[in-house]
Amino acid sequence: MALPNQQTVDYPSFKLVIVGDGGTGKTTFVKRHLTGEFEKKYEPTIGVEVHPLDFFTNCGKIRFYCWDTAGQEKFGGLRDGYYIHGQCAIIMFDVTARLTYKNVPTWHRDLCRVCENIPIVLCGNKVDVRNRQVKAKQVTFHRKKNLQYYEISAKSNYNFEKPFLYLARKLAGDPALHFVESPALAPPEVQIDLAAQQQHEAELVAAASQPLPDDDDDAFE
Amino acid sequence: MDDMEKAILILFDESGSIDEGLKKKVKDYCNEIKEKPSICSICIDKLCFSGLVQVQFWCLQTLHEVIRVRYASVSLDEKFFIRKSVFSIACLEAVDDKNVARVIDGPAFIKNKLAQVLVTLIYFEYPLIWSSVFVDFLPRLRNGVLVIDMFCRILNALDDEVISLDYQRTPEELVVAGRIKDAMRQQCVPQIVRAWYDIVSLYRNSDQELCASVLESMRRYISWIDIGLIVNDAFIPLLFDLILAGGLSEQLRGAAAACLLAVVSKRMEPQSKLSLLQSLPISQVFGLVAEDVDSELVSSIAALLSGYAAEVLECFKRLNSEEAKGVSMELLNEVLPSVFYVMQNCEVDAAFSIVQFLSSYVGTMKNLSPLREKQLLHVGQILEVILTHIRYDSTYRNNLDILDKIGREEEDRMVEFRKDLFVLLRNVNRVAPDVTQLFIRNSLTNAVASSPDMNVEEVEAALSLFYALGESISEESMRTGSGLLRELVPMLLSTRFPCHSNRLVALVYLETVTRYLKFVQENTQYIPIVLAAFLDERGIHHPNINVSRRASYLFMRVVKLLKVKLVPFIETILQSLQDTVARFTSMDYASKDLPGSEDGSHIFEAIGLLIGMEDVPPEKQSDYLSALLTPLCQQVDSLIMNAKLLSLEEAPAKIAVIQQIIMAINSLSKGFSERLVTASRPTIGIMFKQTLDVLLQVLVVFPKVEPLRSKVTSFIHRMVETLGASVFPYLPKALEQLLAESEPKEMVGFLLLLNQLICKFNNMFHDILEEVFPAIAGRIFSVIPRDAFPSGPGTNTEEIRELQELQKALYTFLHVIATHNLSSVFLSSKSRAYLGPMMQLLLYTSCNHRDILVRKACVQIFITLIKDWCARPSGEEKVPGFQKFIIETFATDCCLYSLLDKSFEFRDANTLVLFGEIVLAQKVMYEKFGDEFLIHFVSKGFPAAHCPQDLAEQYCLNLQGNDIKALKSFYQSLIENLRMQQNGSLVFR
Repeated sequence: MALPNQQTVDYPSFKLVIVGDGGTGKTTFVKRHLTGEFEKKYEPTIGVEVHPLDFFTNCGKIRFYCWDTAGQEKFGGLRDGYYIHGQCAIIMFDVTARLTYKNVPTWHRDLCRVCENIPIVLCGNKVDVRNRQVKAKQVTFHRKKNLQYYEISAKSNYNFEKPFLYLARKLAGDPALHFVESPALAPPEVQIDLAAQQQHEAELVAAASQPLPDDDDDAFE
Repeated sequence: MDDMEKAILILFDESGSIDEGLKKKVKDYCNEIKEKPSICSICIDKLCFSGLVQVQFWCLQTLHEVIRVRYASVSLDEKFFIRKSVFSIACLEAVDDKNVARVIDGPAFIKNKLAQVLVTLIYFEYPLIWSSVFVDFLPRLRNGVLVIDMFCRILNALDDEVISLDYQRTPEELVVAGRIKDAMRQQCVPQIVRAWYDIVSLYRNSDQELCASVLESMRRYISWIDIGLIVNDAFIPLLFDLILAGGLSEQLRGAAAACLLAVVSKRMEPQSKLSLLQSLPISQVFGLVAEDVDSELVSSIAALLSGYAAEVLECFKRLNSEEAKGVSMELLNEVLPSVFYVMQNCEVDAAFSIVQFLSSYVGTMKNLSPLREKQLLHVGQILEVILTHIRYDSTYRNNLDILDKIGREEEDRMVEFRKDLFVLLRNVNRVAPDVTQLFIRNSLTNAVASSPDMNVEEVEAALSLFYALGESISEESMRTGSGLLRELVPMLLSTRFPCHSNRLVALVYLETVTRYLKFVQENTQYIPIVLAAFLDERGIHHPNINVSRRASYLFMRVVKLLKVKLVPFIETILQSLQDTVARFTSMDYASKDLPGSEDGSHIFEAIGLLIGMEDVPPEKQSDYLSALLTPLCQQVDSLIMNAKLLSLEEAPAKIAVIQQIIMAINSLSKGFSERLVTASRPTIGIMFKQTLDVLLQVLVVFPKVEPLRSKVTSFIHRMVETLGASVFPYLPKALEQLLAESEPKEMVGFLLLLNQLICKFNNMFHDILEEVFPAIAGRIFSVIPRDAFPSGPGTNTEEIRELQELQKALYTFLHVIATHNLSSVFLSSKSRAYLGPMMQLLLYTSCNHRDILVRKACVQIFITLIKDWCARPSGEEKVPGFQKFIIETFATDCCLYSLLDKSFEFRDANTLVLFGEIVLAQKVMYEKFGDEFLIHFVSKGFPAAHCPQDLAEQYCLNLQGNDIKALKSFYQSLIENLRMQQNGSLVFR
């Protein structure tokens, strides 16, 4: 059956599908959780790898079976076949590679074709890298499709829990659900440069406080 | 279950219980099936008659792949068969004359996959080959709701896979999409719209879910079909009817609202758009927003209303006739109250686009001054909306106060969320400053008077408004207190807000006071009040350490700005800070490190600024300073004395305290100018020298503790500025200590210190520099590579990055030495050994370095050295061999060959500057070496670059002339000429 019956557990478990272009960091992301190991070297995922990740909430333990799918078409395996019976999903793109963001709608469409009406989180990965190509302001897709968006850095563990927490809340139908214990994460490989992030944000504020242009064409790209 | 079915089930099994070998076999087996010529028939057969969803999905996926990838090679008969079968399955009709496959009875993902397959057929075959697909389908909608549902899925898939502009498409796909839309418009769109109408009318009570699906697909098509098919006496009343029918599901009513929004948003000429908007009885739905605010319907209505308002506004902006402006303003005034209501009462999701809309509305007001009464009313409502949305939820009060994880998240979220709203606030203030400031005054008053269970959030929000407003107020109006500010700032200062113990309130209060300080500068009677706010338990003595540290920083800024006016208060200030000062260097404070620069040391900077003023009488000044420095130095002394006895556990805490002390003294010294310390008040200078003595001991006792090293280094930086040349006696020993066993990273910091010393003291620093240079050169040349750093995978390591940093610092260092008349340092007997490697490195870098600015620096170093070392008329050579090296190697390699590479980009500004330096180098060489240089360059260098004789002759003339500009432009054309001739094929390196 498509639902994994491995190590069946006596607490709630959910199938989580992770999609996105190759090289955006899906595998690195799931492997930050220390039930799996982690690799520095990029090795494309073949087909799919399923990782059971446990989290501790105030309502008890839950498990996400993370279906880490291949981003590269040539290693696709069953491709959208892996999405069957998915209960929630993460769409990943790489803020340092514009094309990976442009492909987000396509991943979203392919996902929704198989999984109608599931909670989905959009994740912009690699925000630790200095020259990003997709600025936070330019990320607007989630608003159109009512997704949650998080900026993450798999390498530095920045915001690692956020996507899982959001999905857990949606699945439990309890907006007050929270994690009571941090999962064991691999140590951060890089420190996110908070000063740079702050400066970045300051620039955003500065840009936003410019007087209104006379011609109010949409500034979206 | 047959073998194929079993195999597919195994293929889908990711439970980990399947043996890898078996899985591999199964995969190969399935791939073999895919290669069979009859694969399409196999798939259709299994799709129809296997009850297993995995098998059905696999078959659809395979079919899709075949159609997508190799449809051209499929035979005509088989194509016909595929088309007919897929169509029949989708219409719930018999596939092979007897059996009806009930595939569309299955789960949604199977139906969607089937729709995708059918759409892929349409992509290739409609309208040329399979022109009847839509007209054939329409009569079959009578086969029941399953077929209608399937039809919706097909239309949705057509939109997603082919038409919608939300996805990346190739130019080819765009052409196909255009062809399909054109054909559909001509052939069947009116019939499809008719079908939608009939279905919704027929099923609106019996199958609302179906009707919602129909409207959902219709919504996607409105943007490109004839709008007249929807905007007419039949459809528009139907849509409004659905929205208003209280008995229907929210989903259906919401879907109808979404269709209306699509109608409203359709791209049209503004005049026809205005007529369309005018024709809609939009006011009928205004009342709906007042229903249950959390419902999905309300957010659809909210989106519809804000979309409608935005379109009306757009018409107002684009149309110029008085009449059109009047009509659109009227429509806008009609819809705005509901928009404000929505904004006040609905969830944040809808709020975002409304903020955009409001910003745009406020933007149009810029051209409308003075504002009419109605608009002023709207401004007031916009301000209400802002205030409502920036208010924290009181359930988070405790989390935010102690700043736990939840509190931090909530604060981050709010900071982000407020950004757009504050931009809106400032824009409102631009069009209606009086209304805005009056609103803020009232909010502050109301907040103070609000009930105790709400006042924290009220006060915080009102103060935040005032704070955010300050960003757009000019310095001039702040000083003079223009408009209501004259009343607002004193009110801010004199009000005792009831919840200062709350972290957020305390912080925003102090920030706001600091922001409006310019007013106090002009109205000095408020100084005592400001000081009290910073010095008592609302500021530096706040029980929350985050507040007190931030207060320290802000207080420093207060002191900087008010400085001289604070002289009469110094005594009071120092007294009230005594405990804070002592706490800073206590054991338990040092261990509580908070991230960022807010470490609390700013309090010392503030004190330094105060007591360092020349307006403070000399005796007082030394008393103040000694009262601060003496205990700190004693503390360091005793920590150093006992250092030997420290156990491993104790050491980190003690080291942390020493760091704190150095930081404190460092900050303190910033307030004392060099003039005061060295000229007018030498006693103060002596005190700092004694301190330096003590702190340098730290290096002796803790030679290898990196944080201490960097703290002492920065203290020396400071003392160079404060003590001036009188710091010299301390330098030799200090530099020696810092250099000992320094890592590349520390070495970079060390070079920075030397650069500062050279720039400040020039030639006076010569002797000390000569002393340390050999050791520095020896250290650096032993670690950095002589030419390029390794590149390629695995070389981007931290160590290599550090070495690259060091190398870069070295170039700056050498450049600073050369350009400050200190090149003789390179020639001392102990430095001589490094001259060779140094020249090689500089040469290599000046020709090859990635960073053009580094190359420029190296060329400049060469120019200086040539000037310094090659005096003419040459008697004895100052540096034997140097002239030969310059003429035979530097001149040709750097000044000619390195330019021939295409990567030398003349259009780049930095490169052009480098080129200017290279030309200058030639000029200098000619001045110093005369024909010796010229002959070698022209007779050896040029021929190797295949330079024609006439160009070489022209070069000589230009070089000998006095016009450097002409030389530069000639040389550029010469280089471009040579490059063209060789077409980049000549490589010299």
